[in-house]
Amino acid sequence: MMTRVTFSLRRTRLIAFNTVREAARQKLYGFVGVLAAAFVLGARSLRDFNFGAPELKFLADCGFGVMAFFGAALVITATAQLFFSEIENRTVLTLLAKPVWRAEFILGKFIGLAFVAGVFCTVVTLLLMQVLASREAQLLREFPDASGLGAFVSYSNVIFAGVLQWLKLAVLAAFTLLVASFAQTQLFTVVTGFFILVIGHLQYLAQDAYARGGSWLGRGMSGLMATAFPNFQLFALADGLNVGEALPWWHVARVAVYALGYIGVACGLAVLSFRQREI
Amino acid sequence: MATEQQADRVSPALELRGLIKDFSTGLRGLKLRAVDRLDLRVEAGQVYGLLGPNGSGKSTTIKMILGLLAPTAGHCEVFGVASTCVEARREVGYLPESPYFYRYLTGRELVRFYAELGGLHGKALTERVSEVIATVGLTAAADRRIETYSKGMLQRIGLAQAIVHHPRLLILDEPTAGVDPVGAAAITELILTLKAQGKTVLITSHLLGQIEDICDRVAILDRGRLMLEGAVRELVGRADRQALLVPTLPAAELQELRAWLESRGHTLEMVAAPQARLDQIFLDCVGKKK
Repeated sequence: MMTRVTFSLRRTRLIAFNTVREAARQKLYGFVGVLAAAFVLGARSLRDFNFGAPELKFLADCGFGVMAFFGAALVITATAQLFFSEIENRTVLTLLAKPVWRAEFILGKFIGLAFVAGVFCTVVTLLLMQVLASREAQLLREFPDASGLGAFVSYSNVIFAGVLQWLKLAVLAAFTLLVASFAQTQLFTVVTGFFILVIGHLQYLAQDAYARGGSWLGRGMSGLMATAFPNFQLFALADGLNVGEALPWWHVARVAVYALGYIGVACGLAVLSFRQREI
Repeated sequence: MATEQQADRVSPALELRGLIKDFSTGLRGLKLRAVDRLDLRVEAGQVYGLLGPNGSGKSTTIKMILGLLAPTAGHCEVFGVASTCVEARREVGYLPESPYFYRYLTGRELVRFYAELGGLHGKALTERVSEVIATVGLTAAADRRIETYSKGMLQRIGLAQAIVHHPRLLILDEPTAGVDPVGAAAITELILTLKAQGKTVLITSHLLGQIEDICDRVAILDRGRLMLEGAVRELVGRADRQALLVPTLPAAELQELRAWLESRGHTLEMVAAPQARLDQIFLDCVGKKK
C-alpha cells in the first residue's frame, strides 16, 4: 500500500506564495495601490469638504474610506481573477495533477489573497499615520496652547482600525472565493462579490427586520440574511472613534473572532464546493 | 516495503475497468456520454498510445486518470491505487495539451514550484530542478520569463515539470502539437529516454507516424468507445509479406529474378524504390545545424 498523502501546510504555503507572486507581478493591482496611496496623501487638499468635522477626524475618515473602497475593489477583482486565471489558463490541471489536495488549493489561494489585502492595508495605514502625524505636528506648531490638551491622534486606534479593515477584506475574500468555487464565469463572481459587500454593509436592516417580527416568511428570510452574511458595519471603527480616545482592545479581539468564524465557514464551504467541481 | 514492491509488481501502471463518464447538458439534464465502458490495461514500462479523432473521449479519459473528473461508473487505478485518491498522483506526471503555465514565472521558478508540490525539498530540489531543465535542453533559457518562450520551449518546460518529481507514469497529451519537426524529434527522443529509464508513458497524438515509431501498444477510441487495441507491431505489420532491399538491379537481372521466383511458385508483387521520409530529410538539413 502507498503511504498516505496528508494535508500539507507546506504545499498550502507554496500555493499562497504563488498567488502573492502573481498578484505582485500584475500591473493592475499595483496601479490600484498607487491610486489609493495618492488619495490618502492628497487627503489634506480635500479638507475643504470636511462638512464641519474636525480636520484630523476628516483625514482619518478619508484614509479609511479609501482603504475600504479600493481594498474591496482590489480584493473582489483579485480573488476572481487569480482563481479563474488558474481555470481558464488550465494551470489548475497541472497543479492538481500533482499530489495536492483541493483543500490546499483553496486555502492557499485564500491565504495569498489575505496577504495581498494585508499588504495593501498596512501600506495605506502607514501612509495615513504619516499624513495624520505631519498635520498634527503642524497644528501643534500653529496652536501651541492646544498641546496641553494631549495628543490629538490615538495612533493605536488608527492601527486597530487598519487591522479591522484588513479582517473585513479577508472575510470578503473568503466569501468571493466561495462564489468562485462554484461559479462558471469571472464576471458572475465579481458581480456577486460586490453584492455580498453591499449586503454586508446593509446587514443591519435584516437584523432590524428580524427584531421587528412579522410574518414567519419575512422573519425567516431576514433571520437567514442576518446570519448568513457578515455585518461589515462592525468593522468600520473609523466612523465611531474619536481620534484622540483609545479604543478597548477587547472590542477589536471580539470583531476578530467574529471575522475568523465567517472566514472559517466560507473557506470550508468553498473547499466542499470545489471538491465537487469537475475541471 | 516488500509488500509495496510486491503490489507494484502485480499492479499494472494503469487499469481502467468499465469506465463511463456522462456529462449533463442543458437545463433538462440530458446526458452526453463522453466515455463508454472503457477497459484498458497499460503495463509498467510501456509507451502506450491513446488515439482517436477530436471528441473521442481521450482528454476526458486522461482527466479521470488524473482525478480531475470523477467517473460516472467503473474503476480507474494507477499502480493499484484508485485515481480519485491524491496518493495516485504521486506517481503521475502530466503534460496537458497546449500548456499555459504561469507566464510571470521564469522556467526555473516554474519547475521549482511543481517540484516542491511534488514533495522535493532542500539540496535534492535544487539539483533535480537543474537536472530536468538540462534534460529538456532549456538551461540557457531557464531564467527567462515563460511569456518569452516559443511553443516548443513551452512544451519542453511542460515536460520538465511533468518529470521533475520522479513519477513512474507520464501522461502526455499531444506533446508535439504545434511544435516544429526538430522540436518534435527532440521530444520523441526524450520519451524514448524515459522509456529506457523504465517509465510508463501514456501519449495522445494526432501524428500517427510518431505514435507508430515510439509506442509499444495503442488503443483507438471513437465516440468514447474502444474500437481497437493491440501491439503496434501486430497491428501494422503483415506477417505474410516480406520486403527485400537490394541495390537497383538492371532490367534483365530483375527479369531473371522474377523468373527464378516464379519457378519456385512465388510471385514478385511489387518493385519500387524505397523513399526517405520527409521528416528525416528535414531533420538532416535543419536539425544538425541546430
